Amino acid sequence: MPRISNLAILRARQQNPLLPLLLRECRSQDSAKNELRWLQERASQSILRKQAARSTLAPLGWRRLLRSMCHTRSRGMPLQYILGDQPFGELDILCRKGVLIPRAETETFTIRTAKLILDNIQRHGHHEIGPQQRSFRIVDLCTGSGCIALLLHALLAPHLGQLSILGIDVSPVAIELANKNLTHNVQQGLLSNRAKAEISFQRGNVLANDDTKLLSAREVLRVYQGLPCDMEPECDVLISNPPYISPESFRDGTTSRSVRTFEPRLALVPPLRNSIIGLEVDRREDLFYYHIILLSFQVRTKLVVLECGDRSQARRVATILKTLSNSYRLDALSIEIWSSAGTFICDEVSSRNEPCAVVLHNWPGYSKGGF
Amino acid sequence: MAGTQYNQLGSEPSSSLLSRARSLAVEHSKLSAHLADSFDGRVAKRVGELRPIANVLEEWDRANESITELNSLLDDPDTDPELKSLAIEDLETTKAALPTISENLKQALVPRHPFAALPCLLEIRPGAGGDEAGLFAFELLRMYTAFCSRRGFRSSIIKLEVGDGPAEDRLSEAVVEVEADGAYEILRTESGVHRVQRVPATETKGRTHTSAVSVMVLPSFPETGGSMDNALNFDDPNSDYYVDPQEVRSEKMRASGAGGQHVNKTESAIRLTHIPTGIVVSMQDSRSQHANRKKAWQILRARLAEARQEAREQELVELRRGVLGGVARMGRGDKIRTYNYGQSRCTDHRSGTTIHNLDDVLDGGEGLETIMESVRSWLVDQEVAALVADELAKDKKTARS
Repeated sequence: MPRISNLAILRARQQNPLLPLLLRECRSQDSAKNELRWLQERASQSILRKQAARSTLAPLGWRRLLRSMCHTRSRGMPLQYILGDQPFGELDILCRKGVLIPRAETETFTIRTAKLILDNIQRHGHHEIGPQQRSFRIVDLCTGSGCIALLLHALLAPHLGQLSILGIDVSPVAIELANKNLTHNVQQGLLSNRAKAEISFQRGNVLANDDTKLLSAREVLRVYQGLPCDMEPECDVLISNPPYISPESFRDGTTSRSVRTFEPRLALVPPLRNSIIGLEVDRREDLFYYHIILLSFQVRTKLVVLECGDRSQARRVATILKTLSNSYRLDALSIEIWSSAGTFICDEVSSRNEPCAVVLHNWPGYSKGGF
Repeated sequence: MAGTQYNQLGSEPSSSLLSRARSLAVEHSKLSAHLADSFDGRVAKRVGELRPIANVLEEWDRANESITELNSLLDDPDTDPELKSLAIEDLETTKAALPTISENLKQALVPRHPFAALPCLLEIRPGAGGDEAGLFAFELLRMYTAFCSRRGFRSSIIKLEVGDGPAEDRLSEAVVEVEADGAYEILRTESGVHRVQRVPATETKGRTHTSAVSVMVLPSFPETGGSMDNALNFDDPNSDYYVDPQEVRSEKMRASGAGGQHVNKTESAIRLTHIPTGIVVSMQDSRSQHANRKKAWQILRARLAEARQEAREQELVELRRGVLGGVARMGRGDKIRTYNYGQSRCTDHRSGTTIHNLDDVLDGGEGLETIMESVRSWLVDQEVAALVADELAKDKKTARS
């Protein structure tokens, strides 16, 4: 990271003595000013609320609160952990230490996925596939704060009669927060009341042959759908933003200090204890994709959306997809790679290491340029 | 009293206005006959628009008819004297009613502004005058938020940028969204350059400075265009206010390097550029990129719609000028109002109204309301003058051919 020039620090100081603190993490004046404004808004809000409640707990004035917030931020604590939430689409996602903070790219992919689902349903309908009218089933693996599952419900519910969304995560902290997010957004009126019945978050393990006693994601899905153990569960859409950072790029500075120190490693780097020997995977950071793709074939999904760290990872994931689909004798697959840039103009250099999403369509009748 | 009103308004609408009203009334009766046979939403809407004109015109004709009738009654030597006195009484009341009817007719003829029913966005930007302009811009922002809360309009500041410097009260740009339907019609009197004359807080020698702040009132379209009627639907390529997404370049500010899980950036700024016109909207107030993009689109759409409407009006003015010469029009670049602190007065240069209670105006109180009301009637007069000009131009054309 380049040093911030003395001049920039001085200039920031002239505007507000707290700005240089924020500059340490934000690196640019504009961004630091924005963060200061958001922190200020939150500080005065929470003081007002405390005064209204006549709480004797915090006699701090908003200025002191703001100063302590800025100091915390200067030590690298993510803004979302300080403020306690992050907007995601129309939703307000609560953030707690120990659970990954939702990213803007994930938001873009989720909105795009919802649009794709609606387009396909409009074109082909989904009821004709099942024997009788049933709800549209979505599984979000490695759900974390639950942001993807919740936003999909918010976007799809107005157009679909019945939904069933299951979020699976290995971390109990994440499941607890995801459930909190569900109640919080229903309370705020950002999610419809249906959400409470149609979304569920459960603990499960995406990586198979793990020595933990946790049920595998497939078992969790089977139990959730109330099926006996000889029947295979099914789902329409499988979406995931799994840990995709390699142990090397976690250490070598590609991953920012704030993320490294404050966000859970569990949500960022695939665990070391799982061996990749014998799998069709060359690199450790692709571990999750192998298991998720396998699961998607088993439960016969029509659409799989997988967020990846960059373009080369996306290409590797597409290769895994093709190899596995060959061994499963599946044909008529169509693989697409979305860049998170979407309609944005980006220079060549930065677009190469921007997150992508690998999208697998297996929608009956779907035809759009293959991979 | 009646006399002064009589003079002020002019008893007779000009013949060109009347002929316009008549042709519209003919259209009305034709269309309503058509409507009786088969229903058509468009025609019904047009009939609804024309009905008030036809009604007022009928009233006008009836009044004039009765006047002629009464006059002939009075001229007739055979009329009973008792009846005559009654007729004189009737004649007076009818004549007294004429100016009101004539005024109503004018009002009915003035076309409704295409954005009249919409909520609006209010943009405030300091102009010439440096820091002082930024300070006064802040005061105007306060004035309009106070005005909105007094009128019971829900308003929210969707963009607020303060200038660089130690103080936080120098505005460099603000956009306020007024969510009430019809707010555009009420606030459109405010578009233009507002001038302030006072001794600034920063002045050490006690000199009076003059600086300017520009205010723009833009129509605010609902999020999805589908619910609007055809003319205003910005999703419809045939609409005048259609914005082609292909012509808008959208950029997000982003540092180079890895993204996604690798970093946790809070930069959420979005910049939209409308390539054909070069209009740029940037937005960074919200922590959500999604929300910033939505607001930026709303502002871009509003600016484009206003610019197109402006261009259309300008075209009409050029047409009129070609025929009559010298039809004045106040553009957004014109100075419309002066706030003078030394004399505690506020003068609007269009209607010529002066209020000698500046504090009340700046608090968004009755004073501001009075000024806005005076500008509104000035606007109606302008429109009527324009209508007359149009009719005259039409007459000339027909006379020539």
